[in-house]
Amino acid sequence: MSRFRLRAGVVGAVILALAATSCASDKAVDGEAAVGADGVKHGPGVTDDTITVGMITDLTGPYAPLGKSISQAGRLYFEEVNAAGGICGRKVEPLVRDMSYDVQKTVSAYTELEPKVAALPQFIGSATVASVRDKLEASGPLTLALAWAPSILGAQSIQMTGTTYAVDVVNGVDFLVKERGLKAGDKIGHIYVEGDYGDDSLAGSKYAAEKLGMTVVEQKVKATDADMSSQVSTMEEAGVKAVILSIAPKQTASFVGVAATTGLKVPMLGSNSAFAPQLLATPAGPALLGDFYVLQASSPLSADLPIMKKIIDGYKAKYPQDGLDNGVMAGYTGSMVIGDALKKACENKDLSRAGIISAHRSQKAWDGGFGSTYDFSDPSQPPTRSTFILKPDADALGGLKIHKDRFTADLAASYPVTAS
Amino acid sequence: MSDSRNARLFRLALWAAAGAAAVLIPFYLDGFWLMAGLFAMSAAVGAIGLNLLTGATGQLSMGHAFFLAVGAYTYVYLSSESDDHLAGLGLPTGVAAIGAILAAGLAGGLFSPISARLKGAYLGIATFALIFLGQYLMHGAEAVTGGYNGRAVPPLTLFGFSFADTPELIVLGIPFGALERLWYLAVLVLIAAAWFAKGVLTGRPGLAMNTIRDHETAAGVMGVPVSRYRAGVFVLSSMYAGLAGVLLALVFQRTVPDYFGIVLALDYLAMIVIGGLGSVGGAVLGAFLVTLLPQLLTRYSDSLPLVAQPGTSGGFSPAEAARILYGSVVVAVVLFLPAGLLGLAQRVRQRLPGGLPHPSTPSRSAP
Repeated sequence: MSRFRLRAGVVGAVILALAATSCASDKAVDGEAAVGADGVKHGPGVTDDTITVGMITDLTGPYAPLGKSISQAGRLYFEEVNAAGGICGRKVEPLVRDMSYDVQKTVSAYTELEPKVAALPQFIGSATVASVRDKLEASGPLTLALAWAPSILGAQSIQMTGTTYAVDVVNGVDFLVKERGLKAGDKIGHIYVEGDYGDDSLAGSKYAAEKLGMTVVEQKVKATDADMSSQVSTMEEAGVKAVILSIAPKQTASFVGVAATTGLKVPMLGSNSAFAPQLLATPAGPALLGDFYVLQASSPLSADLPIMKKIIDGYKAKYPQDGLDNGVMAGYTGSMVIGDALKKACENKDLSRAGIISAHRSQKAWDGGFGSTYDFSDPSQPPTRSTFILKPDADALGGLKIHKDRFTADLAASYPVTAS
Repeated sequence: MSDSRNARLFRLALWAAAGAAAVLIPFYLDGFWLMAGLFAMSAAVGAIGLNLLTGATGQLSMGHAFFLAVGAYTYVYLSSESDDHLAGLGLPTGVAAIGAILAAGLAGGLFSPISARLKGAYLGIATFALIFLGQYLMHGAEAVTGGYNGRAVPPLTLFGFSFADTPELIVLGIPFGALERLWYLAVLVLIAAAWFAKGVLTGRPGLAMNTIRDHETAAGVMGVPVSRYRAGVFVLSSMYAGLAGVLLALVFQRTVPDYFGIVLALDYLAMIVIGGLGSVGGAVLGAFLVTLLPQLLTRYSDSLPLVAQPGTSGGFSPAEAARILYGSVVVAVVLFLPAGLLGLAQRVRQRLPGGLPHPSTPSRSAP
């Protein structure tokens, strides 16, 4: 068998030689962070003529319609920026990766993009962000997470847009008290879906109810439950004075539709993920135009703002096939936040990962022209605590118009948002 | 004679190439590829286990993902330190890994009274219920599992060597982070797992298992302790799943309940069907294909024909195209390769010089 040993030895030696020459490989350790020709410090994803950013989105899973709008609006923003000369004299190139709301694909997409990008202007979903949260926290790029659970707060590199589900609901309860006459001793119904979206929303309603001397009648549903009839009758029997819906859009349509036929005539508030404009074309449409409102931290597309008009015209020109929904607004705003962080980091001559994050965190009152200011300085808190009360409207763009302008209730300002 | 020598040389060359790839890949390829390879190797370990149970013994299990979850979460629970929210035992990570494999085996053992009474599709349905039980437990038992957001996985430390990004380690000018280190661990674990399963399959137990699959009554008559074997294989298969779960947890660095769902269980069935039922090589081949193909298609979808860039109309989006291609491959394998990919590989080998003629090819000496 010595011949075999000889062969094995030769093979082994060849392998070792190859490994030893691996200093020719791309992975070999290079020196310190490079400095560009213009004296700007470079980090991952930055060269003398391009800045690469990444989007981890859902194009084939449950959030596909939203993911598409968000990605396209993000591309639109960066194209406009490039047409105007880019950022720091560099072109911005977005890389889009689909993870179809699957944890393994998310981890793969993140592993692929992480060394290539300067920032992530879009990362959809709390479960997916949670799966790479530790990596993001340790050494990740500045990331805009499109999820509103408090569990994604608390990391320097992760930025929430808008506010948490709970804060929205607290503002919603305040609206019910001030404008719909709810008072101490009343019961509020809360239908919520299992998961952090529902759990956090429920924490908000319970907090507000406790402070105001009301009680919450809670009903937990599964994401797959389609028919809300039994929940409606439970609420009727309990004699609630209002209902909060932290469920999926189709479930909202079912609940509001059934309530309209059975005579549960109370105001209903939906969380920001409980409504989709497509619902207005369903049989439940007329019921949704009744005593039903949506809680949302960001301006609706129908808001009368010059920047809104610009986004809508640009999007319609570039994607004439596609309808407009809230994703357009979310995607454009998110990319804008990242764009502004990059511009600021450029002024500081530091486009390294830490430089971009600290430039972003130095902004206490970011205003993108949406009529609100965001405070990015504290990673453990949402950047805003104010909420719009929106009303479905068949004629409004995006299906929603402003019913009550952005406000922050005292209870919402004092609500303890705890990052995990 | 020279023919068989050629065949032997060919096989040696093949193994040498595989060995070289296993050693060299971490030196040259970036994180995405290492991650993909680690997922594939972990899946291969799990698929070998399922193939012992479903392919070799004929026990349909659709609950494989549950045992993966038991392995992953037990490892995290045993090795983490307790804090105000989450419970943990803080054991040494090596002990925790072994404990996790044993726990998965125990879970399989607890299920064996059910698996011993049911056959075929009924067993499939019963094991399917495990997936829902698992989801309920993972979401409900927050002190252990961390609920929806899962738990961070403590990196494995063996004999003072840590499979993590720190402390820094540079080998021949290449920085060795967690993925590079885990790569070699996964290669060794996969080799050991494959070797053990091959031993089981080629020995007396394998014969007994195949007889149970093909004709249970006959197996009983011939003196095979059928129910004991069936329970034993179930436990062994669960332990393989537990081992795969531990590996996956180490690669993910975080366990989340969403991953261990129905889709994963069906993926494992797809692996052994595509690769070839009842063999170790088939399980490994199938696991590699099912794990790598969607990732590669998604990554290189931009350069595939008929595909539109995201944001333009006409054609499929890259992600859709990847799905369609993946589905077509699965359907094609099931339709045209009844013995799976391994069967195809064997046929190719028989065509090569030195291979025995395939029984289905008419012998040339026949008139």
